[in-house]
Amino acid sequence: MEHVDVVCPFCGCLCDDLEITVEEGHITGIKNACAVSRSKFLNHGSHRITSAAVDGKKASMKKAVKEAVEILSNARRPLIYGLSSTECGAISKAVEIGEVTGGIVDNTASVCHGPTILALQQVGESKATLGEARNRADMVVFWGSNPTAAHLRHIVRYSVMPKGMYSTEGRKGRKVIVVDVRQTGTTRLADKFVKIKPNSDFELLQALRATVRGDELPVDEVSGVPMKEIKELAEEMKNCKFGIVFFGLGLTQSEGRHMNIDAAVGLVSELNRHTKFVLTPMRGHYNVAGANTVATWQTGYPYAIDFSKGYPRYNPGEFTAVDLLASGEVDAAMIIASDPAATFPADAARHLAKIPTITLEQKTTPTTMLSKVVLPVATAGVEAEGTAYRMDGVPLRLSKLVEPPKGIHSDEKVLDMILEGLKEVAQ
Amino acid sequence: MRKLVLKPKGFSKIPIEAEVISPDIIGGKTLPEVKALSVQYGNKVHSLSEFFDVGGRIAKTPDEQDIVVDGDASHVKYIGKGMTTGRIVVQGDAGMHTGSQMKGGSITVTGNIADWTGAEMKGGLLRVLGDAGNLLGAAYRGSSDGMTGGCIVVNGSVGSEVASFMRRGMIVVLGDTGPFTGVHMNGGEIFVFGKVGRRAGAQAKGNGGFIACFGGIDELLPTYRYDTTFTPTFMRLYLRQLAGNLGIDVATSYIDKPMRRYRGDLAVGGNAEILVAEKA
Repeated sequence: MEHVDVVCPFCGCLCDDLEITVEEGHITGIKNACAVSRSKFLNHGSHRITSAAVDGKKASMKKAVKEAVEILSNARRPLIYGLSSTECGAISKAVEIGEVTGGIVDNTASVCHGPTILALQQVGESKATLGEARNRADMVVFWGSNPTAAHLRHIVRYSVMPKGMYSTEGRKGRKVIVVDVRQTGTTRLADKFVKIKPNSDFELLQALRATVRGDELPVDEVSGVPMKEIKELAEEMKNCKFGIVFFGLGLTQSEGRHMNIDAAVGLVSELNRHTKFVLTPMRGHYNVAGANTVATWQTGYPYAIDFSKGYPRYNPGEFTAVDLLASGEVDAAMIIASDPAATFPADAARHLAKIPTITLEQKTTPTTMLSKVVLPVATAGVEAEGTAYRMDGVPLRLSKLVEPPKGIHSDEKVLDMILEGLKEVAQ
Repeated sequence: MRKLVLKPKGFSKIPIEAEVISPDIIGGKTLPEVKALSVQYGNKVHSLSEFFDVGGRIAKTPDEQDIVVDGDASHVKYIGKGMTTGRIVVQGDAGMHTGSQMKGGSITVTGNIADWTGAEMKGGLLRVLGDAGNLLGAAYRGSSDGMTGGCIVVNGSVGSEVASFMRRGMIVVLGDTGPFTGVHMNGGEIFVFGKVGRRAGAQAKGNGGFIACFGGIDELLPTYRYDTTFTPTFMRLYLRQLAGNLGIDVATSYIDKPMRRYRGDLAVGGNAEILVAEKA
């Protein structure tokens, strides 16, 4: 059977033009996908966790869920973390579990684009969809981001190559500028590569903004870039018709963090006195934008949400997973669609091994290896349907292409089983 | 003043939220009532006496109430939150949000203090004899009103984003400050006698606000422009006040020092001042 316009559940691009062939319940062919997406679809069935486990021993799903309920209902400070590589229904259930247990709900934004959200709450944002970028942009700035490694089809589908309604010339009609600390695949495609000193993005953004305002700065160079070049860049930005800044972790996780984004938003808002300019974060996990969106519509806050007092409170740095784990504050954790044991700082990962951890996962990961309870789940977007939000905030529908292995349910279904168990205990 | 002593019964990794440790709440109550006051421990509510030995005398009115937290309270959050009068002394370290949104009275912490101390403070005096964490006297996330009054004095060093979105009030740091001191500052005064960290005064609009650097500054943003070198008269008055009223003796040695004035942040068309004392 042929499936067309399938949405890819890998990165924040959520490419929605995949063509997938399914024969006898297996994916056998895939068109239009990047190498990572192809691998995800074709190998989703290998190395699967086939049975639930408690304390490293195989257990029935019922027993594992019961154990998870017991851990969460006895915890004083439970943490619910991950959520960015699953669909919105599951995220919604996880937030509800956070509320029922009086725990903390955090998603992976706290270690990637959390600073972006902080800055946008502080100073607002001027944004556009990727469709607008494709149809209108004549200047594209990649700041601290490298789509040739992280968002493989971004350049071809949305930002650089495609011909759009008003950008009829495609690549020729666009000026591509890359600001980074080193040469990358993206810099090789660029018309202009602005190489800056590491951890000095903030200074360059501020200098550019002041220059766009028409101020003469009393310095010869900023962040390793000569003032003459900064003036040229400011002029080019002012004179484009529709400019867009795509920024990545090079900006959010280098010195300055949310203040870098604060400065980038400031520069874009200044440019809007002269022309149309917008900015879009290059979100990594395919539904991290959805994790923020769902949490926001349910609690008012996008991540780092504490329910200990019965109502949601928000404070990144205080209620974020790395801080809570590193200080040893949480006494139980539930990890959904994420692998913090592999990616967190050592202190935080070590604490995860000390406390009872429940993990919902498809394949064996460092996190499942240190978990007390492992609950196998279906792969969203392959074996389960649902909604995901693209990096620009556009929701798209994920498809169910094949059946999950026997006895394995979606994240949403498993979380619902835990939630029901918790509600029974509460009564 | 009547003195109530709260002795913490040991450290806990799960923090305790105890905004009830405030003269406004304790003053006028009986000892059993004080012991039964609620504190948050993880997702459960407990009584104050489960975490503290409570003893001493309680005043009839909050302004007569003196509270001593005798021991390490680094796991206790929100001490003196929103207090308007009376006095709190913490003999040791204190946790996050101490003195946040306080309006009056005084808090003294003899040890170190965690993040968000004196956040969005409106009035009163907060003294820290050790070091302070990040976001001292800052605005909470999403707010554009930081400190709007009162005075914070830190004898040690402080972390990043001190006094973010400051509107009015005064912060004195005898040690060093971290990056982004006075970020988004829109009024108020910051005095630093140690070294000032990177990117001071970023996005500051001014509105009469200044950062006085007596111990030098590592690096100024390119969006601050040198203006003049002068010996400001108002600075003499401030420094005499700091020495006379707050006991900051080091202030007197800078009374006649000329200062280099830089104005910015030009990126936001700001007119804030960074005043750097000339080296002796």
